[in-house]
Amino acid sequence: MIRSAFASFVITAVLLVLVVGIVLVPIALSLPDPLAVLDTFVFGPFRNPRHTGNIVEMATPAMMCGLAVAVMFRAGMFNLGVEGAFFLGGLATVATVLLVPLPAFAMAPVGILVGAVVGSSVCAVPGYLRARYEASELVSSLMLNFAALFIGLFVVNYFLRDPAAGAMVSFRIPAEAKLPKLIAGTRIHLGTLVALAACGLGAVYLFMSRAGFEARIVGSNPSFAAHLGLPIRSILLRSQVIGGLIAAGAGGIEMLGLYQRFSWQSLPGNGWTGVVVAILARDNPILLIPAALFLSYLQVGGDLIARNFDVPSEAVGLIQALVLVVVTAQAIMRNPRLIRLVTGKKPAAGQAQDTKAVEGSVA
Amino acid sequence: MTDFDLASLITFIPAILRVTTPILLAALGVLISERAGVLNIGVEGMMLTGAFAGVVVSAATGSASLGFLAALIAGGLLGALLSFAVHVLKSDLILSGIALNMAAAAGTTLLLFMLTGDKGMSGSLSSKVLPHLTVPVIAGIPVLGTLLSGHHILTYAAFLAVPGVGLFLMRTPMGLRLRAVGENPESAAIAGINVRRVQIGALVTSGVFAGAAGAFLSMGYVSWFSQNMSAGRGFIALAAEVMGHGSASGTMFASLLLGLAEAASIALQGAGLPSELMQTVPYLVPVIALVVHARRRQRQLARA
Repeated sequence: MIRSAFASFVITAVLLVLVVGIVLVPIALSLPDPLAVLDTFVFGPFRNPRHTGNIVEMATPAMMCGLAVAVMFRAGMFNLGVEGAFFLGGLATVATVLLVPLPAFAMAPVGILVGAVVGSSVCAVPGYLRARYEASELVSSLMLNFAALFIGLFVVNYFLRDPAAGAMVSFRIPAEAKLPKLIAGTRIHLGTLVALAACGLGAVYLFMSRAGFEARIVGSNPSFAAHLGLPIRSILLRSQVIGGLIAAGAGGIEMLGLYQRFSWQSLPGNGWTGVVVAILARDNPILLIPAALFLSYLQVGGDLIARNFDVPSEAVGLIQALVLVVVTAQAIMRNPRLIRLVTGKKPAAGQAQDTKAVEGSVA
Repeated sequence: MTDFDLASLITFIPAILRVTTPILLAALGVLISERAGVLNIGVEGMMLTGAFAGVVVSAATGSASLGFLAALIAGGLLGALLSFAVHVLKSDLILSGIALNMAAAAGTTLLLFMLTGDKGMSGSLSSKVLPHLTVPVIAGIPVLGTLLSGHHILTYAAFLAVPGVGLFLMRTPMGLRLRAVGENPESAAIAGINVRRVQIGALVTSGVFAGAAGAFLSMGYVSWFSQNMSAGRGFIALAAEVMGHGSASGTMFASLLLGLAEAASIALQGAGLPSELMQTVPYLVPVIALVVHARRRQRQLARA
């Protein structure tokens, strides 16, 4: 078992290096100084403490969005509302600290709490519709992401907009509401500790609590769960409410941790990053931490080459997409020859697998 | 909005057909993939890539038809790529579709920048558009002329494709095989059907439809490519297919309903209502329709 986990780790690591190379090398070769591009991408994030700090800052929402996705995917729910929940959570948090008169100490906690509850609707509504009416949570969550975006822009434009600012952004977030910075010279804030704690709690929930165990049974074998007499509907709904709360809370933390004003004009993409993080971490809350750090490292590298060379940082989007495909590729990850190559031993036949057949994965 | 008389309703119909076209084309693509058991979530990215390929190739060759052909090929190739991920690499279908959407959004932006030096828009490329058709005789008739003539060529293609896809699925041996694969792949395989080949074909065809939908966006709806211009229409198409109960005509009516919602939201923005709230309408209608559809199905199951 340890050997096969090791094999999976090695194969994943090699794949990640290959994927980064496949995307980056052609782009670098199209530029005048390919070696400098690669050097900046790979080592640049560690040359300057501020950039290294950027990795941790970016990993913070990625961890929490990944956790939200993992909690829902573990329950078998393909709910993609994390993107919209993150956006709406950030907005509702800013709206709360701007519009509600609160004592300074309560601003951040109350703001984030309200943001989490309001934003979680983007995951909870599809969850309810699935649990109650068996309407596809996949489609309705995709739709509600866009609905959340436009409702959010409406609120910004009509209630929070600072007429003195040139663009459509909110008033300044009051300084008392901001999360304290942890490390001088970087923008790493208290939210990072919250995210780490959330991943720890997520592991306790999924692997050590009764509720998490039930959710995993429903996710891995719904008919067995039905046979046990588990309350499947409420378990499904609960998983998606928890996922929504985490994702939306992450949006609020992101706003109070890093932003001066609410300035998102479109969906920020953190939710999709969360999907990649969760898949890379195999829906394991503890592994979310390295997975999020790794993807953020790529993002910082991409931003650095975008800033220093004439290339858009979108290259990182291509890397993320490839990561998503290759780490779920059973033909690679479960390839007996590869596993034998890594462990030097024949893998045990008939291992318990949570493989999803092509036909079975259509919700 | 009180002066909404019959005449303005009739002039509203071309607007509905215009916004329905990309949804319907993409939804037919989704339908074919779904009936083969390989729901194509990547339709959004395939549309975007089709729109991009149409603009770039028509600008390079000076030919709108070649641009359109390129859009179809781009969509088809992405369909083949998705089925490579699913059938050869054995990756998860839904996640591969999501990956395809991410890659298309990033890839088109990257290529646009490399070609034009601009990340947002293809304004510097002099791309071509596909024509609008005037139907002789009918064009002269007052009401009927507005309804049936003067639409974009792909609008006609989309609506003509509805009976085409319907007949293909329900009345041809190949359509029967495709549905058999979607219904029960194991039994289909036992009956001697090559499941993998049918699913690959379905995904490629689905991609071609999505490519056509994309070509409409950049070579008809507007005459340029802009970053993420598909703006969730592929996901709306997904909803249209689900609402359409898996039939071609149902998919068409669902697409029309969603097109109506989008056209109405555009018209109401012009009437001074908050545009942001109106923009939510095309995304909320599918959710409501899905619930209505699901409730009816539940009741049918309860009765059975």
